[in-house]
Amino acid sequence: MITQKALARRTFLRGMGTAVALPFLDAMVPAFATAATQAKTPVRMAFVYVPNGIIMDGWNPDYEGKLGALPRILKPLEPFKDDITLFGNLTHNAGRALLDGAGDHGRCCASYLTGIQPRKTVVDIKAGISFDQIVATQIGKQTRFPSLELGMEDSRQAGDCDSGYSCAYTNNLAWRSETQPLPPILDPRALFERLFGNGIVLSPEARARHNKFRRSVLDFVADDTRKLEADLGPADRRKLDEYLTSIREIERQIAKAETDNAAIDPHMEKPYGVPADFAEHFKLMTDMMTVAFQADLTRVISFLVTHEGTSRPYREIDIPDGHHPLTHHRNLPDLMDKVERINSYHLRQFASWIEKLKASKEGEGSLLDNCMIVYGAGLSDGNRHSHEDLPTLMAGRGGNYFKTGRRIVYRKETPMCNLFMTMMDRMGAPVENFGDSTGRLEGLDLA
Amino acid sequence: MQLAGQAKPPAGIVFDAYVGRAIDDALALSLLFGFAAKDEARIAAISTNNPSLQSAAYCDIVERFYTHSSGFGGLPIGLADGKPAPDSPMLTALLANPAYSTGIRNRNDTAEVAPLIRNALTAQHDQNAIVIVTGPATDLVKLLELHDTRDWIVRKVKLLVFAAGAFPDGPADFNLQSDIPAARKLLAEWPTPIIVVGNEIGDALPYPASSIEKDFAWTPHHPVTDAYRAYHAMPYDAPTRAMAAVLYAVRPQEKYFRLSEPGTVTVLDDGRSRFHASGAGKHRHLILDPAEKQHVIDIYTEIASAKPAERKPRFPK
Repeated sequence: MITQKALARRTFLRGMGTAVALPFLDAMVPAFATAATQAKTPVRMAFVYVPNGIIMDGWNPDYEGKLGALPRILKPLEPFKDDITLFGNLTHNAGRALLDGAGDHGRCCASYLTGIQPRKTVVDIKAGISFDQIVATQIGKQTRFPSLELGMEDSRQAGDCDSGYSCAYTNNLAWRSETQPLPPILDPRALFERLFGNGIVLSPEARARHNKFRRSVLDFVADDTRKLEADLGPADRRKLDEYLTSIREIERQIAKAETDNAAIDPHMEKPYGVPADFAEHFKLMTDMMTVAFQADLTRVISFLVTHEGTSRPYREIDIPDGHHPLTHHRNLPDLMDKVERINSYHLRQFASWIEKLKASKEGEGSLLDNCMIVYGAGLSDGNRHSHEDLPTLMAGRGGNYFKTGRRIVYRKETPMCNLFMTMMDRMGAPVENFGDSTGRLEGLDLA
Repeated sequence: MQLAGQAKPPAGIVFDAYVGRAIDDALALSLLFGFAAKDEARIAAISTNNPSLQSAAYCDIVERFYTHSSGFGGLPIGLADGKPAPDSPMLTALLANPAYSTGIRNRNDTAEVAPLIRNALTAQHDQNAIVIVTGPATDLVKLLELHDTRDWIVRKVKLLVFAAGAFPDGPADFNLQSDIPAARKLLAEWPTPIIVVGNEIGDALPYPASSIEKDFAWTPHHPVTDAYRAYHAMPYDAPTRAMAAVLYAVRPQEKYFRLSEPGTVTVLDDGRSRFHASGAGKHRHLILDPAEKQHVIDIYTEIASAKPAERKPRFPK
């Protein structure tokens, strides 16, 4: 369909207390637009952080260059290996002890996006502004939310979580300033209401009362939806329908989690809408990240899957032992096998998200093409607490910029901050240096 | 965090050598590991400013030999950028020897020198690091140019020992001639005192070939003796300027050497050096006391041939 006037990129479907942003539609491209006049598709970035290191033997391929058979832990990404870049030898020196003694878990998380060694304290915390927040400050005005900070476990901000390091260090990835971390949202309902609500966050009790009469946000915007559909071509109508269906599905999953939780224990301490099942929780959070990217609600997300030092068991995959104790496996095969199964389990959830991003069309390609989704950890070998050769992969082409499907090994001690420098360039927020950077990563682009 | 009253460990040594051109630097590396085994020094970083992969592989072999490391978790080896030097016969012979193993097969198995040293300095107690350079100054100048690094140098480094030049006079020196602008910049801008070790020191303290045959007999395979034999037809005595630099850096309080008065070392356009005394100068050069000559050689042979420290169990029973 060709119209003289294009639909605004930041169009919302509005209803009572509700504002549903739209995905990128063909109707948003001006008729007869040339490449020069077309609005540039935005690039998005996200960090998916997993704690306690990885069994590196199951992560690192024994080759460089074009990705062939993937190692054991990365197997779930096999269908998407042409869309990923696997990095070798990236290092976070700021995560090391550097005379501060024990506390690698606290340090590696706090330094991960900040590139700064945090002050060892449980009181007057100090790290540095994280690079995602530098990007958010630079480009955040273009979206409804400059950034989103998400997680799945424990958002305590006080107390000692690792050998004298505050819980603020282990439980946050993003830092707005050197003393102000940004606690992640854990509850899918709270995230949903943030994305589609009018900014009012309900208490669990108020939410329960509200749920009794709950209607879908889509019901509130039905009038706007009908009006919009009348102006759309068949392809856009199909895309809009898929998008709204995915929102409805998210609502349904959240409602199910709330019903299940209430049935298990009406007084349970965990956030009301958090599914008991890890995979369901992961899916809900990443589904909403997908929507947030599709609708250009934000271009910057950090996702702390579980926190450093977590002793969460994984009964879903028959592992009743705590994650962190297992990672101090002393090279015992049985314990290493369990850690590897946890690593693989996390990767399976991540791969499902990547599949969704790849399936989501955007312009001539996929949403994934316009993303930089970094999956990684602040420790490589969790047994030895190593801060070099950190397990790091990036899914997506950052706006068809990166030549993907490769493993690139850099020289030892190459700062992780060099990757961040490259990403800041792609996000349109370049800086002269960051943390301990020595430059940008080389050899990543299509040129 | 450096706690008040906490005893400082032995000095952390940053060793940037030109490994492969002469046997001296290889001997100096063994001397350094010998001091580390006696807990007189800690090795903070090792790098070679010879841009040859073989050179880095040699350092890795020595590191594994002395620390019993299987490679994983061992010290990363820094390797200079630049056009690789021709393969050195002494290193080629050693690397072909199945008694030795190395994890260095390509440049990505090594580290860029400047960030490696910067990272090593961040882990040292204040004023407890000593930097030794026994080759061109190229890498150290890159370190100076790394953003935010001068402050780390001022805070952490007590002394730079630079094997360069000849005093009071002598022919052009390889370590200066290879990168004259870098040598000048290092001497002018390095923010700590600098002790310069001239070629005349190494020439006056030849390492005895007899030590290679006798003092290392406790092991059938030692990287430095195999390198020594491959370097020249035995027997021969070798100059030891790099060893002198290590000895002074680790035991500056001993009277093996005298120091010149303060002054300034200048680098001439042909790679020769000059020293001008001046009260405001921050350079001094080593002067050998002839009476100490045999004493120094005895220390060389004793420490360089010392056995590695015993391996400490990683998981105590």
